Amino acid sequence: MSNRISTILAFVIAVIMFVAAWFFMQSGDGASAPARAEAPVAAPKEVPIDSTRCVASTEWMKSHHMQLLNQWRHDSVREGNRTYATPDGRHFDKSLNTCLGCHASNPMFCFMCHEYANVKPTCWNCHISPMEATK
Amino acid sequence: MKKVLIPFVMVAVLVAIPYVGVTAGGQAYLFGVIVPYTAAAIFLLGFLYRMIDWLKRPVPFRITTTAGQEKTLDWIPYNRIDSPATPMQAWVRILLEVFFFRSLFRNTKAELREGPSFTFASSKWLWMGGLAFHWSLLVIVLRHTRFFFAELPGFVQPIEVADRFMELTLPAFYLTDALVLAAITFLFVRRLRDVKLSVISLPTDYFPLLLIGSIAVAGVLMRYVDKVDIMTVKALTMNLAQFSFDPVPGDIGPIFYVHLFLVSVLMAYIPFSKLMHMGGIFLSPTRNLCNNSREKRHVNPWNKPIKFRTYAEYEDEFREKMKKAKLPLEKE
Ligand code: HEC
Ligand code: HEC
Ligand code: HEC
Repeated sequence: MSNRISTILAFVIAVIMFVAAWFFMQSGDGASAPARAEAPVAAPKEVPIDSTRCVASTEWMKSHHMQLLNQWRHDSVREGNRTYATPDGRHFDKSLNTCLGCHASNPMFCFMCHEYANVKPTCWNCHISPMEATK
Repeated sequence: MKKVLIPFVMVAVLVAIPYVGVTAGGQAYLFGVIVPYTAAAIFLLGFLYRMIDWLKRPVPFRITTTAGQEKTLDWIPYNRIDSPATPMQAWVRILLEVFFFRSLFRNTKAELREGPSFTFASSKWLWMGGLAFHWSLLVIVLRHTRFFFAELPGFVQPIEVADRFMELTLPAFYLTDALVLAAITFLFVRRLRDVKLSVISLPTDYFPLLLIGSIAVAGVLMRYVDKVDIMTVKALTMNLAQFSFDPVPGDIGPIFYVHLFLVSVLMAYIPFSKLMHMGGIFLSPTRNLCNNSREKRHVNPWNKPIKFRTYAEYEDEFREKMKKAKLPLEKE
């Protein structure tokens, strides 16, 4: 009777300890949030655009940029509408390269967040990645 | 109907508490740090208490609900899984039950037809709905490790890639998100529609379904619709994973707190509810005992010791009398 309990308890404790050890080994390092992106430097363009602001508010971009990209992709590839007008009157090409144009100063811009949040967008399989773009 | 309404109102209140608490009360720390830790503690201690309590219950005899031939003579083939003879085989039976719900697979449906005739038919719907539900939940829980680890554990990566392979939306649409919602809807509607079932269903059957359903809906909403800032969420969850009591690292949409609070309620609720079947299934005597009653004698340990009297003793006592009566004796 008590033998059975102690066997099972020993097993449970062993599993808990194993998981906990693994947990702390994994989550111990590299856990700090990445520094905020530095304000990007304007890429030279024919029409000077205000590059001190993102295509939408930074707050909104932080959580919704993938939805915006999805929208842009749909608009330009499916509907041929390639120009995006921001509410404050700036115009952008609806392309992934537009993002990289402004965010080129830090080739890790897209990656450091994604590494931290463990998201792996497949976009760079086909599209030029910011790492290559700055070379 | 009251049986459904009460849990429904309860869940609605549980949704409202964190929503109001965070938006109007500014209690992000309470709902983001204190409540989750408390819930996790209740879960762990309660779970252990329940398991130890169950383990202490004696199970002196084998409960042989077999669906196959028990091991007897060597030349009679026996069913190793449905009537296990060794602990190893019993483990296989448990694990198959845990992963594939074999006993649900045998589910039958009884119906009174016109005539009147009473019919039984195999019914796999519950089995399928249950499988879809539990497997989706498992995958979803595994996917959430991305919030608690700096790097995804190796075996989670393929699961997550498989889960998002539809590439329907950005952020990527997860198959299990749809599956779990569909399955839980089915399980819920099943209880309502079948009269026999709705009669035996209790509020404690509806409450977990509604609670888990609301958790899933809140999660889906904040992923695809009313998006929250994942970076801050991860900063918070990493803090939680390291048992830190730091303040919440930034603003997160209230729907996240609803999600987290419902999960906390679920964790705290598990040890006190039928959801304990996640631990209990391993201890269920009809699954984890090997059917070796023919091979081994099982004695109830708290039986009073019986005083046996052998024939030899009997003869010793009455030898003289038996001799006189000319009864045959074994020993002269
Ligand atoms: C006109 C130049 C410009 C373009 C084009 C642009 N951004 Fe930005 N982006 C910025 C600036 C400036 C910021 C603000 C950085 C800050 O506040 O530190 C920013 C911030 C962001 C942030 C938040 C970063 C953080 O650390 O909080 C994200 C995410 C982002 N941009 C994604 C994109 C994406 C995706 C695209 C393409 C759809 C894009 N940006 C296009 C200039 C631009
Ligand atoms: C299978 C390869 C492939 C993948 C993966 C892919 N794309 Fe594309 N994408 C294309 C092609 C091809 C076009 C068409 C280019 C054109 O019409 O100029 C395109 C066009 C686009 C466009 C509009 C045009 C332009 O020049 O940028 C956007 C925006 C875009 N993709 C975003 C994304 C995002 C975001 C992802 C990741 C979620 C992604 N794509 C993944 C192949 C791909
Ligand atoms: C502020 C940090 C941050 C920055 C900077 C950032 N992202 Fe993201 N991105 C995220 C987070 C967090 C997610 C996951 C969101 C989720 O799961 O809801 C994400 C998800 C995505 C996704 C969807 C991935 C999927 O399949 O679920 C795409 C595509 C994407 N980001 C593209 C980009 C591009 C392109 C850039 C660079 C121009 C960029 N991001 C910069 C934080 C960031």
